[in-house]
Amino acid sequence: MAIPNGSSTSHEDIDAEIDFSDIEEKYRVDFDDGFDSVIVVDDVPIIDQSKLDRLLQKIAKDFSRKGAPIKPEDIFVPWDDAADKSKGYVFIDLRTPDAAAFAVAAMHGHQFDSRRQFKVNRFMDIEHYANMDETYIEPQTEEYQPKEHLRAFLTDPQGRDQYVTYRGDDVDIHWHGKPSQCEIAYSKKGWTDLYVSWSPLGTYIATLFRQGVRLFGGPSWEPQQRFAHPLVKLIDFSPCEQYLVTWSHDPISVPPNLPQGPEYFSPEDEGNNIAVWDIKSGHLLRTFPTSTLDGEDPTAKKQMQWPALKWSADDKFTARVTAGQHISVYELPSMGLHNKKSLKIEGVVDFEWCPHGEKDRDEADKASAAGKTKKARENMLAYWTPEVANQPARVTLVNFPSRTVLRQKNLFNVTDCKLYWQNQGDFLCVKVDRHTKTKKSIFCNLEIFRVREKDYPVEVVELKDTVTDFSWEPKGERFAIVSSNDPNLGNPGPGITIKTDISFFQLDRAKNDFKLLHTLTSRTSNTIRWSPRGRHVVLATVGSSSKSELEFWDLDFGTEDRREGQVVKEEWGSGIQQLGSADHYGVTDVEWDPSGRYLATSASAWRHTLENGYAIWDFRGQEVEKHLLDRFKQFIWRPRPRTLLTKEQQRQIRRNLREYSRAFDEEDAAEESNVSAELIAHRKRLVDEWNAWRAHCKKDIAEEKRN
Amino acid sequence: MRPILLQGHERSLTQIKFNAEGDLLFSCSKDHVINVWFSHNGERLGTYDGHNGTVWTIDVDSQSKYLVSGSADNTLRLWAVSTGKCLFTWEFPTAVKRVAFSDDDEQVVCITEQRMGHQGAIRVFKINGDGDGTNQSEDPLYMFHPIGSKATVCAFSYTPNVIITGHESGKVALFDVSTGNEILNNERAHMDVVTDLQLSADASYFLTSSKDKTARLHDTKTLKVLKTFSTETPLNSAALSPNRPYVLLGGGQEAMQVTTTSLRQGKFETRFWHKVFEEEVGRVKGHFGPINTIAVHPAGTSYASGGEDGFVRVHHFDDTYFRAKPYGDMEIED
Amino acid sequence: AERHALQVRRALVARRRELLAELSVRKEKEEASRRAESSRRERDEEAKRAKADAARKELERARKEIESIRTEEAKKLAQNLIKRGGLKVSVNEMEDLSTDSLMRLQVEQLEKEKKELNERLRIASKRIDHTERAYRKEELPLLASDYAT
Repeated sequence: MAIPNGSSTSHEDIDAEIDFSDIEEKYRVDFDDGFDSVIVVDDVPIIDQSKLDRLLQKIAKDFSRKGAPIKPEDIFVPWDDAADKSKGYVFIDLRTPDAAAFAVAAMHGHQFDSRRQFKVNRFMDIEHYANMDETYIEPQTEEYQPKEHLRAFLTDPQGRDQYVTYRGDDVDIHWHGKPSQCEIAYSKKGWTDLYVSWSPLGTYIATLFRQGVRLFGGPSWEPQQRFAHPLVKLIDFSPCEQYLVTWSHDPISVPPNLPQGPEYFSPEDEGNNIAVWDIKSGHLLRTFPTSTLDGEDPTAKKQMQWPALKWSADDKFTARVTAGQHISVYELPSMGLHNKKSLKIEGVVDFEWCPHGEKDRDEADKASAAGKTKKARENMLAYWTPEVANQPARVTLVNFPSRTVLRQKNLFNVTDCKLYWQNQGDFLCVKVDRHTKTKKSIFCNLEIFRVREKDYPVEVVELKDTVTDFSWEPKGERFAIVSSNDPNLGNPGPGITIKTDISFFQLDRAKNDFKLLHTLTSRTSNTIRWSPRGRHVVLATVGSSSKSELEFWDLDFGTEDRREGQVVKEEWGSGIQQLGSADHYGVTDVEWDPSGRYLATSASAWRHTLENGYAIWDFRGQEVEKHLLDRFKQFIWRPRPRTLLTKEQQRQIRRNLREYSRAFDEEDAAEESNVSAELIAHRKRLVDEWNAWRAHCKKDIAEEKRN
Repeated sequence: MRPILLQGHERSLTQIKFNAEGDLLFSCSKDHVINVWFSHNGERLGTYDGHNGTVWTIDVDSQSKYLVSGSADNTLRLWAVSTGKCLFTWEFPTAVKRVAFSDDDEQVVCITEQRMGHQGAIRVFKINGDGDGTNQSEDPLYMFHPIGSKATVCAFSYTPNVIITGHESGKVALFDVSTGNEILNNERAHMDVVTDLQLSADASYFLTSSKDKTARLHDTKTLKVLKTFSTETPLNSAALSPNRPYVLLGGGQEAMQVTTTSLRQGKFETRFWHKVFEEEVGRVKGHFGPINTIAVHPAGTSYASGGEDGFVRVHHFDDTYFRAKPYGDMEIED
Repeated sequence: AERHALQVRRALVARRRELLAELSVRKEKEEASRRAESSRRERDEEAKRAKADAARKELERARKEIESIRTEEAKKLAQNLIKRGGLKVSVNEMEDLSTDSLMRLQVEQLEKEKKELNERLRIASKRIDHTERAYRKEELPLLASDYAT
């Protein structure tokens, strides 16, 4: 699900109602009574009534200067009535235990005047010290507390997936399985102020508060880490979950009394908006300002690029572009500029890192297991520069860190380019929006780089229409595009739904080029969602007020009966089959579960307030469940990391599927009869209750009439 | 189940009512007119003319002799059902929002609106059935001003002198009309305006609908919520279906809030819910605007819905409706 | 007096002749108009007949066209059905099949295809579900050891 636009929801709106009481309850330090915000300051001058006011003023000033603001009224001065003088110590109520702790740390040993140093203790401690048993007790060795298994969710014996929903103030984590196995795994009110987000491998769930970001995880959803970035609006994880990038619209400011340390901003971070954090340690690595072009009015509102920093797939580098000038690549974990210089590229607009495929990862694993330092495939990135004066537009592939240019391609009459990597890093498609000489109409070229082949051959697919969406099949050799020649394209208005065509292309192995597989004409679909396992694809009309269709397609229908490895000559495109269609009124988001068995659609209150809620469908388009929920905001499946099974193990499982199936069939049958039996029993109970109540009513009324 | 479309109103419907036998259907509307129809074929029998403002509410007595109506013209009127003649008119400082006959036809309760410095009032009138019906008392038998949230709907309970009210705040309450005392209430019955209140045959429980998108079934004696039916649109009306364990709910987002209606054209639906299981069992669409009022035939053989679109749709249930037993053979008391 | 009488007679005769001539002219005229009338009627009838004829012919033609479209459609339907491998009749036998029965056949065919599709989908769905569950089941021990390290 899309993260809401940073500006659309603000912290201020929901600030007051967040209920932290459960958290506080859990972490409350157990003092005996309510004095935990009171401190005792010793070695205060003994004075008489006439000097009392001045003394209190001075103490208050000293405390405030050290970052513990108090007022003279907060100070209680014990009085020696016999001598009519103060007793030389005072009590101060700091309002909160935290503030008290801070004051103790800041003011203990404070040089009050030339002779005196304050001795500051918590009030409770004094009592505690006074009553202390002098005999030494051997401290109990704390039992080793095993850290919770952060990936325990993968070990669900029923193999279920999880998803999170955010509705009103409630955040719920659900298990999703067979009907009887669907249950709430965890539920919390006010768990976030803005939205929730899973980390890319599903290890953590991030929630955003006014104070910053918190990560939770493990079977008990304990807090795992926190990042103090006040008024944070946007976050982004690195692909291997080692780092987190946060952004706030409000520039960082560091008031003097804030705690300090590696987890906190320091004065040199002031004015910046973007922060990079180490997730394991919680340390702040670096901050950046939100980039603005030189000479551009910084107040001019411009769509900010997010994520602002793009990560290489191995978490080794992160990079950001300064439009028109350079790409700066930073090394992790130091976050220093790699080789102390940026990649200077005149006019650069945008870039993308090449993803690592399973092949790359397997090789890397093998290499590290063998202890070899064999050079793994370098990271690669692609960027493009627009036409300027006499120079054509250009797409460039560069290796990193070696910075060798691998391939360049010149392009003409370019209006815009978009870079789309296939998720295994096998192909790069550059969608080039081109204009005719008169600049009156726009058409599209797809420039497809075959990155795994020698010399990086590029093939061009020319299209007459404007292409509004492009999507690679995950792990596949196919892609789908949405194209349109609707005259209303480009001037969207209320009630206008653009007519579109959807086309599928596939790599033709024989000719080694991409060929049109099939086109679906006069649709309204504007969104392509491939199953994460490939093969299945859903076409949806999202964001329209009048159309909300979902089409479920299979691109390999009828080929699963074939034995593995068996090659069958068949007609080009004959495997395409529509499996079903459905409609979810007002749909705003469409997401597959990690297994590609289910699809979730939701209508978020962030976009409109009509029939909010979510639905889950199977890959055939049959409704599994549907919930209409007021103030429903977010639905996200919990991502799963790469499987630990090797290719060979997976093949083995598929080969023996029949045996597994037998067990599962039994489970499913039991489940079904169980569910229906339960339902019948439940209904019987309801009917019995009702009938009993009716009988009771009738008796009552009869009596009433008799009287 | 082909519906009969009654096209006799020029503006949105406000309330529809079957008479006790179910052969007649009364309807009133913002167009100032009250119509009466033969329920079996939709033929219009006549009109009751005289009101000079939106007719908000009507009720008919158990003998189909008298009809009462309340209107935005600040009057409550008594009509002879058979002749269409207006027998008596009571005038108030503000509009009449709800009327209801008592079980014995001897009393009528009416709610007048709180407006322009006038408090909302609940009055009970004695209906004099002697003679030609024109000899009525100007003064109410009882009158009181319920404090707190405005009353929007009301009905007589099975206990003499006790009425059930639904309020703007979502409250439902029991009032003793002779003293004006609130006997019992449930402040949190609904979270928003109560829009309709209909009683079971023996008045021992009642159904309310609300803008809070739910309809609820309440125990008349304790005001406890027995069942809740949660939908996704504000509800304007809810009706109980005699002899079948269903409730019928109607409503819809108001036209102003729907950005484009094209998708929803003719899709404003009457929803059927199972009374006991709280599960939705079916929908009937057809209206071109929100449904304002629903009434079920006293024998449960048909139902009618009146919409913002100015139409009344009468549906006669077909055999399959009565034969269908989607939940098996469980006997459910009405 | 005789002359006078003669004059009168002559005048009478002349008048009579005049009258006669007039009469014959009128008769002639009437005759002509009657003839014109009848010939006009004949022409009208002729035209009407021609029109009716044309209409009949048109109807005939339309019927023929409809017929031909229908047979064409039937042919197409049948061919379609044959192509899909559902119909077990040869093109020759097809002549005997009315469009209605063909339509029925097609409906049956579609019904059957739908059933087949559903059955295949059910199997595919089970396969996908069971494969995923099997993967996850086999991954469990690996996850435990992964955590231990």
